Amino acid sequence: MENTKILTINWGKINPLKIGDYLAVGGYLALKKFVSEMKPDEAIEEIVASKLSGRGGAGYATGEKLKMVAESESHEKYFICNLDESEPGTYKDRMIADNNPQLLLEGIIIAALSIGAHKAYIYINGNYEKQKETLETARAQAHKKNFLGAGILGSAYDLDVEIFSGAGAYICGEETALINSIEGKRGEPRLRPPFPTEAGLFGKPTAVNNAETIANIPWIILNGGKKYAKIGASCSPGMKLYILGGSVKKPGVVEAPTGVTIRELVDDFGGGVTPGRDFWFAQIGGASGRLVLEKELDMPLTFSRDCQIPLGSGSILVVDKMANISDLILSWTEFFRRESCGKCVPCREGTFRLHEIALRLQDGEISERDKVAIKDILWTLESTTFCPLGRFAATAMRDAVEKLNLLDK
Amino acid sequence: MQIKINKKEYEANENETVLDVCRREGVRIPTLCSFGKFKREAVCRLCLVEVNKSGRLVTSCTTKVAGGMEVETENENIQKARAINLELLWSDHAGKCVKCKKNRKCELQTLAEEYKIENFHFVPRRGEMTNAEENELLRDNWSRVVVDEKNPVVERDSQYCVECRRCINICPIKSYGFNHRAGDSVVGTPYNQPLDCIFCGACVKYCPTGALIDQGDINKIITDLDDGKLLSVAIVDAAVLESVGMELNGVKTVENLAGNLRSLGFEKVFDLSWGFQKYVEAVAEEIHPHHTGKKNPAKQRKFISSFCPSAELYIKKYFPELVKNIIDVKRPEEIMAEAVKKEYAKKEKINPKNIRVMLVSACTARKKLKDESIDHILTVRELGRIAREKKIEGVRFAGSVPDKFMNGANVKYAELHKYGKLSQLLTEKIKGDLVIGAANGVLEIENALNAELKKEKLHDFLEVMVCPGGCEKGGGQSMKI
Repeated sequence: MENTKILTINWGKINPLKIGDYLAVGGYLALKKFVSEMKPDEAIEEIVASKLSGRGGAGYATGEKLKMVAESESHEKYFICNLDESEPGTYKDRMIADNNPQLLLEGIIIAALSIGAHKAYIYINGNYEKQKETLETARAQAHKKNFLGAGILGSAYDLDVEIFSGAGAYICGEETALINSIEGKRGEPRLRPPFPTEAGLFGKPTAVNNAETIANIPWIILNGGKKYAKIGASCSPGMKLYILGGSVKKPGVVEAPTGVTIRELVDDFGGGVTPGRDFWFAQIGGASGRLVLEKELDMPLTFSRDCQIPLGSGSILVVDKMANISDLILSWTEFFRRESCGKCVPCREGTFRLHEIALRLQDGEISERDKVAIKDILWTLESTTFCPLGRFAATAMRDAVEKLNLLDK
Repeated sequence: MQIKINKKEYEANENETVLDVCRREGVRIPTLCSFGKFKREAVCRLCLVEVNKSGRLVTSCTTKVAGGMEVETENENIQKARAINLELLWSDHAGKCVKCKKNRKCELQTLAEEYKIENFHFVPRRGEMTNAEENELLRDNWSRVVVDEKNPVVERDSQYCVECRRCINICPIKSYGFNHRAGDSVVGTPYNQPLDCIFCGACVKYCPTGALIDQGDINKIITDLDDGKLLSVAIVDAAVLESVGMELNGVKTVENLAGNLRSLGFEKVFDLSWGFQKYVEAVAEEIHPHHTGKKNPAKQRKFISSFCPSAELYIKKYFPELVKNIIDVKRPEEIMAEAVKKEYAKKEKINPKNIRVMLVSACTARKKLKDESIDHILTVRELGRIAREKKIEGVRFAGSVPDKFMNGANVKYAELHKYGKLSQLLTEKIKGDLVIGAANGVLEIENALNAELKKEKLHDFLEVMVCPGGCEKGGGQSMKI
């Protein structure tokens, strides 16, 4: 089972700009199966059975989400593919769009049709200009082949896919902020409830799914949910893209099952730590990720709530002992100081202040009052912010304080 | 349903939030962004409470009640969260309280006192730079400071802004929004243009700090009041009685107010009812021909009331084709101020140049369309500032009554500031088959004018008032903090 490849199997083998290449390796068979053999709810049942969970980081059960939207009685529904990837050090969704855009489109079409949507959006990060062009080409080709548009493959289904470019804001990866952005509003999270599955885009039931999640769907439709559920960790099964970076021999995106340990990823897939460097810690899941010390490397990575280290976006940044912690802290705090939407007080002001303190830290001087301030700000970011971004902004710094004893110097 | 707040049982209704119940029952919860029935933004993160001992803090303004719910509004964590968030907010605020025109009337200041906030941790982000070292840190933030003094009504200074979003939500024509993001976000107008709105003043009324205040030269007014060679005449719009007590402790009646104004230095205090009466009479004259002559000669049909200056600005901005339909009668305060400077001055043998007519008003838009004959216009808030400046608050000269202007006015005109009163008086006055209607709030006005344009409903007279609820809820009123 370890050698199954779902997402990356055709990377480098097919020309992403030619739909013929994708068809030659079995592309759109899942859509054909869906259209000719399955009812929408059967497709959703397969996805539920696969226990596929959201690959954006939250790990919400994809099947359940689709089911909620499918079961709502509204005539107008939307499906959104979240390709606003902006977590630092994460570029797996970009690689999917680069290497196999048709796989993503096929997943979008099946998922959108199964919930009864007639319009799907791909919300793409504004910096991904080349990927947007690739997707536009892929969409036009799929349209020509009648995988999209009216009467898909001779059925009664119709679907229009719009590729919507954001402006590159981190917060717009949060689904309600993303919805605001498509509606033309300021990219800020909305109050929940109502959840997007009840009242999302233009007030209609909406399913928002990460691009990587969607790319798993064609395989599940073809091979069955039960088979998918057997891959990887039982609590959150499936294949996952991991992005190895920092001091590893072979950085890049690798596909591996969930439940692998960080040590396996670094040593087996990444070829180990860069020669001549000593492992210090790894950061899992981008700027908002936890820090992991040597002794915790054998922990399996899953999306389960019991997992102490959340998998997040799947990025693994290896930091060696040559690194300067104050540089890292400055880069984290700078990121969140820039990317907070500015809506709620603790996040707007807290991220600003953390950055300010990080600047002083880099100069080598933080006072006792700064140390108290760090603790207070981290606490309020974790406990009182409007959306999860506040908590994310505190995660890495919190671990730097607790695991790396940042404040004890 | 029953819920428990701080171990006491309270009755709660479905769809109420925890904050709604607490406010109704007088349980103190601090808030900055949440007020009235407007959209709950949940951005100030001060109204945090703990529900069912979950160990998590939630915003009471958005948490719906559920039967058997147990709410704690004060505990160590809640106190800590409020104090930290307030300090973060406080350090982002200019903090020049003594200079600030909202001093002692500021919600942030009140909360900072309540939670004993000192700016201990942080360098102030806005406000005057104190020393060269701090310059470096502050430099970044100056882009956030937007000062707009280019209109006669609203003075904006974003240094005092706490981004609570009340102005964004209350503005009937959506003048405000956010510019920039994260720590740089600042409330402003699109592309930072000077404010060009209908000047209803609602944003000033609801602003919790000194970010939006009344534009006006208080010092000039005080100089005029203290100048012995000048006759200071106050014209009082009775609508101000609705909230004047919040600014001048205990002032509730027009008699109280007259006494207070006299102690502030006004020699004559007139009630606006004389102007109201003249206005109604003139309007009746204007619209009467509709009825007696040919009904509704569409060309020159004058039917929209000119009473509310904000509505006039609204029509000029959004319905320019209907400007010609606004009744050509001066507003009551203009009629009266003119009379003070002409007939009254002649009668009392005073040089009009030595008269200062000051209107005490619940309206801010009057400042935008100020007539020459009026020298100063004071909102309730500005009256409060003058009183605090002169250290004269509360009831003075008890038993004082307003002066009688000319021959006096019929008492039935005294309450023309109330929404619906004008159309009611006209209906009584012109006994006949006229279509007389009223609309308050921008939405209602918009609908009525659209119906008019589409000829769905044609009026002989349409009373329009921008502030929902009329001048009693006017933009120049004071707010309870």
